[in-house]
Amino acid sequence: MADEEFDGDDVGDEFEEVEEDENLDDLQEGEEDENQMELVPAGEGHQVPQQKRITTPYMTKYERARVLGTRALQIAMCAPVMVEIDGESDPLQIAAKELRERKIPIIIRRYLPDGSYEDWGIDELIISDF
Amino acid sequence: MKEQYRETDVVRNILEIQFGVLSAQDMQQLSHVHVVAQELYQSGSTARNPAPHGVLDRHMGTSQKDVTCETCAKNLSDCIGHYGYLDLARPVYHVGYFKNTIHILQNICKICSHVLLKPKDKGTLCEQAKRINSYLQKKALYKRINELCKKMSVCPYCTAQNGIVKKLPPLKIVHEKFRTVKKGDPIITDYFSQFDTALEYNKDLESQLSSTVAEFLNPSQVLDLFERIPLVDLPLLCMDQRFSHPKDLILTRLLVPPNCIRPSVISELKSGTNEDDITIMLAEIIFLNNLINKRSAGKVQSIQDSWEHLQLHVAFIMNSEISVPHDLSMARKSSRGFVQRLKGKQGRFRGNLSGKRVDFSSRTVISPDPNLRINEVGVPVEVAKLLSYPEKITAHNINLMRQLVRNGPDVHPGALFVEPRTTPGTKKSMRYVNRERMAAELKQGDIVERHLMDGDIVLYNRQPSLHKMSIMSHRVRVLPWRTFRFNECVCTPYNADFDGDEMNLHVPQTEEARAEALILMGVTSNLVTPRHGALIIGATQDFLTGSYLLTQKDQFFDKEHACALVTSILAGKEASYKIDLPAPAIMKPQQLWTGKQIFSAIIRPNKKFPVLCNLITKRKDYTKGEELCSNEAWVIIRNSELLAGALDKSLLGSGSKKNIFYVIKKDYGDIYAADCMWRVARLSTLFLMNHGFSIGIGDVMPGTGLLTRKQELLDAGYGKCDEFIGQLKEGTLHCQPGCSAEETLEQLILKELSTIRDKAGKACVMELHKTNAALIMAISGSKGSFINISQMIACVGQQAIGGKRVPNGFEDRALPHYDRHSKIPAAKGFVSNSFFSGMTPTEFIFHTMAGREGLVDTAVKTSETGYMQRRLVKSLEDLYVAYDMTVRNSTQDIIQFKYGGDGLDPTEMEGSVGPIDLERLLEHIRAKNPCSEEDPLTGSDIIQLADKYLAEDLFKELSSEFKKELKTFMEKFSKRVDKIRSRLGRAKNRKIFPVERHLERLTFTQLVNFLNACLDRYQSAVMEPGTAVGALCAQSIGEPGTQMTLKTFHFAGVAAMNITLGVPRILEIINASRSISTPIITAKLKCDTDPEKARQVKGRIEKTLLGEVCEYVEEVFLPDDCFLLLKLAMDRIRLLKVEVDAHSIKYAICTSKLKIKDSDVRVESDTIITVRPSRTKASAMYYQLQHLKQHITKVIIKGLPSVNRAVINQIDSSSGGASRYELLVEGDNLQEVIATYGVDGTRCTSNNTYEVFATLGIEAARATVIKEITATMENHGLSVDHRHVMLLADLMTCRGQVLGITRHGLSKMKESVLMLASFERTADHLFDAAYHGQSNPIKGVSDCIIMGKPMNIGTGVFKLLHKHTRDNKLKKRNLIFDHPDMHIPAMNGAWS
Repeated sequence: MADEEFDGDDVGDEFEEVEEDENLDDLQEGEEDENQMELVPAGEGHQVPQQKRITTPYMTKYERARVLGTRALQIAMCAPVMVEIDGESDPLQIAAKELRERKIPIIIRRYLPDGSYEDWGIDELIISDF
Repeated sequence: MKEQYRETDVVRNILEIQFGVLSAQDMQQLSHVHVVAQELYQSGSTARNPAPHGVLDRHMGTSQKDVTCETCAKNLSDCIGHYGYLDLARPVYHVGYFKNTIHILQNICKICSHVLLKPKDKGTLCEQAKRINSYLQKKALYKRINELCKKMSVCPYCTAQNGIVKKLPPLKIVHEKFRTVKKGDPIITDYFSQFDTALEYNKDLESQLSSTVAEFLNPSQVLDLFERIPLVDLPLLCMDQRFSHPKDLILTRLLVPPNCIRPSVISELKSGTNEDDITIMLAEIIFLNNLINKRSAGKVQSIQDSWEHLQLHVAFIMNSEISVPHDLSMARKSSRGFVQRLKGKQGRFRGNLSGKRVDFSSRTVISPDPNLRINEVGVPVEVAKLLSYPEKITAHNINLMRQLVRNGPDVHPGALFVEPRTTPGTKKSMRYVNRERMAAELKQGDIVERHLMDGDIVLYNRQPSLHKMSIMSHRVRVLPWRTFRFNECVCTPYNADFDGDEMNLHVPQTEEARAEALILMGVTSNLVTPRHGALIIGATQDFLTGSYLLTQKDQFFDKEHACALVTSILAGKEASYKIDLPAPAIMKPQQLWTGKQIFSAIIRPNKKFPVLCNLITKRKDYTKGEELCSNEAWVIIRNSELLAGALDKSLLGSGSKKNIFYVIKKDYGDIYAADCMWRVARLSTLFLMNHGFSIGIGDVMPGTGLLTRKQELLDAGYGKCDEFIGQLKEGTLHCQPGCSAEETLEQLILKELSTIRDKAGKACVMELHKTNAALIMAISGSKGSFINISQMIACVGQQAIGGKRVPNGFEDRALPHYDRHSKIPAAKGFVSNSFFSGMTPTEFIFHTMAGREGLVDTAVKTSETGYMQRRLVKSLEDLYVAYDMTVRNSTQDIIQFKYGGDGLDPTEMEGSVGPIDLERLLEHIRAKNPCSEEDPLTGSDIIQLADKYLAEDLFKELSSEFKKELKTFMEKFSKRVDKIRSRLGRAKNRKIFPVERHLERLTFTQLVNFLNACLDRYQSAVMEPGTAVGALCAQSIGEPGTQMTLKTFHFAGVAAMNITLGVPRILEIINASRSISTPIITAKLKCDTDPEKARQVKGRIEKTLLGEVCEYVEEVFLPDDCFLLLKLAMDRIRLLKVEVDAHSIKYAICTSKLKIKDSDVRVESDTIITVRPSRTKASAMYYQLQHLKQHITKVIIKGLPSVNRAVINQIDSSSGGASRYELLVEGDNLQEVIATYGVDGTRCTSNNTYEVFATLGIEAARATVIKEITATMENHGLSVDHRHVMLLADLMTCRGQVLGITRHGLSKMKESVLMLASFERTADHLFDAAYHGQSNPIKGVSDCIIMGKPMNIGTGVFKLLHKHTRDNKLKKRNLIFDHPDMHIPAMNGAWS
């Protein structure tokens, strides 16, 4: 009962085949306007200076997950541990402990949509609810 | 730079895919063998060796295990396969590019091959074509150039005549040269004069020479034309000459695919082999090839036939589904062409590239286990011994790993394989080695594939996976027996029950995957649904019953029982908890604890436990008197102590925000909430086991009181129904607007009968004892509703089919047991019996009818909503919040500047819209920190301090809306404080009691704490960059769709206007349908308080026919005259407020389609109009008169022709003011309605998004989409955060026109070819991309999945770098000669 089989292609045939070429001219006009615009050069590959960073100072959960995963992998591959451990053997737990003490030697490179990036060290970021 | 971890180092990063058309030369270069031989195997030999240069030549790789490839000498698993090629005897069209071939032929001159554009247009268009790099624009330009070229009939270069190029099924192209030219034009006569001589000698030819000249263009001619297209004109065809050329669209050579994709299967049963469809078709093509080559000197007709066959066969190999005329179908059995391999659910794109088969997974039946924690899953030992995790040995775990290796594969915590560090890639099975030695030899860096163990992280999933909570990560608990088990609290997100459901379990295989699974997909991270921010994991069923009974006010326990209950939570990590047993509530004659005390002890076991939960709320059945409510429905929890109220679903279950666990989650985090939930589960099940809870027939037995009450209700209801029926018969029934008398009756009866059931239900609840099991379950919310109880005990009620009473299945009646035309309740499906008393046979039939409708509904619904969900997800999958907080798609187009307008996460919304429930937060802060030594602030102090503090820099980040909300809240609170203070201060000389300080007390510290908490919570509610908001939106709209009952109609304000709702309506909106089933324009009026004026406006809008205002229409025959006499019913005109008079009606008649001359219509008086038949017309006057009489009543004399109905809607004025009126207009003509006099044009709207877009513009269309989706969802009692709806509307409108979430809309908003190909019309998109020479960067979600790359969403939006702790810059070392001492002292004056 779980996975119902339905073929999307069949169901899909019910919409009216819309006459497609209606607003093409509008599209076209927009395009001509676009050509008169000046394009701001993309920041591809440029680093945003430290003082001009705009992204959130909080560590996102995605960053936390990836940093922990990466660090756990390093620890699993016998990287030296940066904190005192008492009995934990799970690399993930050790990584979490390291993160709590901000001892993970990783920089997060955040890419902005224009291709420029900001570098944030783990110790610069605010880690909430952890 | 840290890239995602990879085991091997041979991975290439695919940045983009280039599509193109292979030329004949390319094919040859790709190939390793020229395929010419017709036979598959060498004849004569029994060994079945493939014929050399045949279709199965081993140079093209191998499909058998024991044979190696002759090109690369590798075996089946290693050889990647090699192409061959075969030359076609004649060129043929490529079926995939056939459409493009026709387009090109339309675009070029059929004589000189130049593109048919004026030279001046050509330049600009060419420039434009070269500049465009967006795929969407390219496709649009292609279409535009094609349109332009089609209009040209004379080539501007060679002045040749060009006509219309058409396709002739199956695969022929016709050029109708002179279609655009008028008859008698010299060009045509010239053309025909060519044949004059021939005709002279052969008269028979004349019949062959038709007037329309149609030239067949055969592939050879087309190829010739294409080859001659000038290179400068190529951009105008929107082709990229580097990757595709028009001449390559005509096939002269065919690429033969490698053997490994069309393996021949050696049959075991009969001799010989089973060949793949492709192989067979290739062999047939070679056969035809040879045939043509042999016949090349033969008859033209036979070659032509063979050529046509060749054409079809080549087409079939590409696409075997093309439609072919019957005589040409050659009695084919269906075969699979290349297109068929790619498309469809099982095709390559959806079946193999977008979704793949996995290892390390398992599936079995599920069962419940309340003893497991919320985030655990019980895994059978058998399963745990088969699934493994590759753990690397480090100093921390080497001892454990040794033990596991020693245990081997068959003892549970064991290991399956070991992969030593020295030999990567080779695994040693623990079954066949000396395990003791292996264990001793283990070194750091070795990998042990160990059994699944307690605490491992696994992904757990139940299909259909409709939202992200359908797959969550759990921690493993290895248990005996053979089912997967988990806590019932987690049933809701999976939508699981235990009636035989199965679930899947996957083991992530790397540390990275484990970490991401744990943090992002963990059960504790998903307590709350992003749909509307309420709990989705919460207590269910028995937990609710248990808690409800436990917290009743008559529940007392002596010391033994109290301790036994409280200690039930001592397990797992709580095993070492200290529990403070509170002082007993009753000391004498016996120490007794209340259930509420025990429950409080569970929430906060001891004084050191940090969780202080504060919540004041009321349940649904609240009566009055706050905590003195007779139903115990006013719940107060203060500092984790349950002071009043019994707990039910709204406080413990899922789907609510006024919830104990939700409050704990908000104030103390996910972990505490999950732990608390588990403790409640433990406690309530234990209590319920001791208390006992069961349901029996006695619980549904109605008492005599109830029976008499029910009989009264029935009698009263039936009486009323009879009254209505009687009224109908007499014709005194007052019709509702826009309804006929019959319809009105139906509605009245339906309403009356549904009240019977409701009242019976209420009577049940009143009459039943409070220990009644069914009642307890309904009140506590664990199972069943009041309606269910009422159906069991009192009355099943009206059976509805399609929202109406049971329709007539027999002549004029629903069942033959009743009189014809009978309208009494019982005859139309009213079941007055209860399930307990049993239904009569007729009632039973009616019940099954309604039951079947429900079943059919769900069956239809699942497929419909499933497809809707797929479309939603496909169109929204790549939207994410970028680091600059804009919402973008994978090509970095901006969809929203700030997510949802405020950048807040719907998951974190505590209020209905705002991020914080301020009232509760303040209550919580005040309860948590009593600050008993401080003095309370006065009202004005509070406002001043709050304003001052909020003005500080720290609070800059709060949005202005939230600040405003906060300020109004503070003002409200300060007023409350002032009020109570002033009331107390009234008695001037009275001593102020210390207790007065505690009324509405807020101290300075509390205020500061409160404002700080607001700031903190606001900031944590901000959407995190990287979130896949699109996917969340698609799920949040698609998932509730499955809960909607399919075809529901609802009355919007006025009973007459029923609008489509439910799934059909949602589909209409997101498909952006142009014509919707119930378009309704809501028109506000300039003067909306006067019903008379409203009626006037209605008259202007609603279509009024002449027949409606005529008293009679008569033919009058006089000796010298005959005419039609129309007598207007002036009373009626006045009543309807239609603004017409005889003259305007005359005008309407004259302008109507009847073509009556002005002189033939005469206004005789105010009420009489005569119409005379035309004298000039040919037909007899009598017939004309009859015709007129028939049609003149249909003349529209007033109103908009497209509007059939308009209804005046009275808006209930709640504040006692004059009631307001608005018009609801059924129809699609928004523009005209807005322009109508009396309508307030600025406040008109329609529910048709396309109509709104066309009249009011794209922003209005966006607002309509949002409004309509929200309204539809709300109507079904489903709440969806407005941010999701907003995002969907923004995506649909972001390209400047309303694009539906359909294949048409999608191909206009997505650039990625792979994404479109994996959605629908796979082959079309691929051929188009190849034609245009499109390059597809691998950026989007689908693209990345297809290419096996990590995608740029979530954990993929950023990269990680290693932070070097380098020493400071190298010090410059002093050179030896820089040191002055090392220099030989200058010998001053030595020379002197």
